[in-house]
Amino acid sequence: MSRNIYQSLNSFLNRLERFIFFGHRGQPPLELALVGMPSVGLNAPNKSDRFSLKNLLGDGILWAVPKHRRTIEKRLNRKFGLPGYNWKPLVAKTNLRSCNQCGHDHELGVLCPHCYKKVEQETRLMQEKIEQKLGLEPIEHEVVVLYQGEQLEKNENGSNDRKVRVVEMEKPRPVWFSKNLMQKTTAQPADTKEVKPSNLG
Amino acid sequence: MNQADVSKLMSQLRIAVKPHRNLRNPDGPEGRLLKLRKTVTALVKHERIELYYNRADEARGYAELLISNAIRYGDRHKATMELADYWLLEKQLVHKLFKVLVPRLENCNFSYTRMYKAPRDYPGMYYRKSVLELRGNPYPSLLPDYTNNRNLIHNVLLDEARKDYRREKLAELADKIASESAVNAEKVGSEGDAKEAENVEKA
Ligand SMILES: [Zn+2]
Repeated sequence: MSRNIYQSLNSFLNRLERFIFFGHRGQPPLELALVGMPSVGLNAPNKSDRFSLKNLLGDGILWAVPKHRRTIEKRLNRKFGLPGYNWKPLVAKTNLRSCNQCGHDHELGVLCPHCYKKVEQETRLMQEKIEQKLGLEPIEHEVVVLYQGEQLEKNENGSNDRKVRVVEMEKPRPVWFSKNLMQKTTAQPADTKEVKPSNLG
Repeated sequence: MNQADVSKLMSQLRIAVKPHRNLRNPDGPEGRLLKLRKTVTALVKHERIELYYNRADEARGYAELLISNAIRYGDRHKATMELADYWLLEKQLVHKLFKVLVPRLENCNFSYTRMYKAPRDYPGMYYRKSVLELRGNPYPSLLPDYTNNRNLIHNVLLDEARKDYRREKLAELADKIASESAVNAEKVGSEGDAKEAENVEKA
């Protein structure tokens, strides 16, 4: 380390020397020829003298310079952190699963973002409609949301006198929000016979 | 044993209550309570809300207590009415609590509310999000739909029934085709005989 300091000091002195003597115009500036200063140019340093910091600094001290080498443990902890406290390298997540419905990835125990987005949008639309319909009146009946082309389900005794507030959505019921979960056993044959490709230019 | 059954003196919450957390508020405890009252009001009004996990978890207990007391004592009970008046900032919801939620949740054996962990952007905000909802709401379900899992017993049975149905249909179809082909074969056979006869005549 002292070697480095020696080298940098040396180069700095060299540069200072060059600036002082050859400055901008190649002449030593007159202002610097002060009385009482030992002229460096006249008494050129004896090259055989060994350089020592003690000569240079005298009784001075050095600030903000590491005094001791950091141990390898300290350096490794600074670089990689401590496992369990602040582990810096990237760690693989093992709590990710793919959704059974849509196949998107989600964290374990957390709703699937793709499915949740769908439900959230539909919920927001329904909430807006319900709020519009109910307004500020006292709410005394259950709300039933009907989509396009749907009718109120009848009571067990077949009468239609359920006391509910009907909120109608101006769109058909989304397929994924369907109440009919049965699938068709036999598919009906298609009506169309020829399928012409479109958008072929 | 002349002691009263404690569980019958007060409603027991049907959720696990976590320790009180310090929801910081510039207005102190009052502001904190106002925040919780707003949350309970929104829950009763919208029936499904998305908010930060801590706030939802804290407010959930109060919503549960309110509903369970409403079910237990009805709307003729002064203390319950005061409780409802305190927690519901919009007064039309007091009607909803006693006339809609009580009949709906009377026979509910589980908690009256549900809480889910909501997804959040990665890495996004540090705070966890959650969805808090009342049971029996009209919105689409948040739970994954397992009805299509083919290993469930009803799906196994339905699959077998479908197979049987198809087998029957195929058998019918095969019978039909067989009978038709037999008729055709007879026809072809008679035509062939006629042709043979012609040939014989030509020869
Ligand atoms: Zn999904």
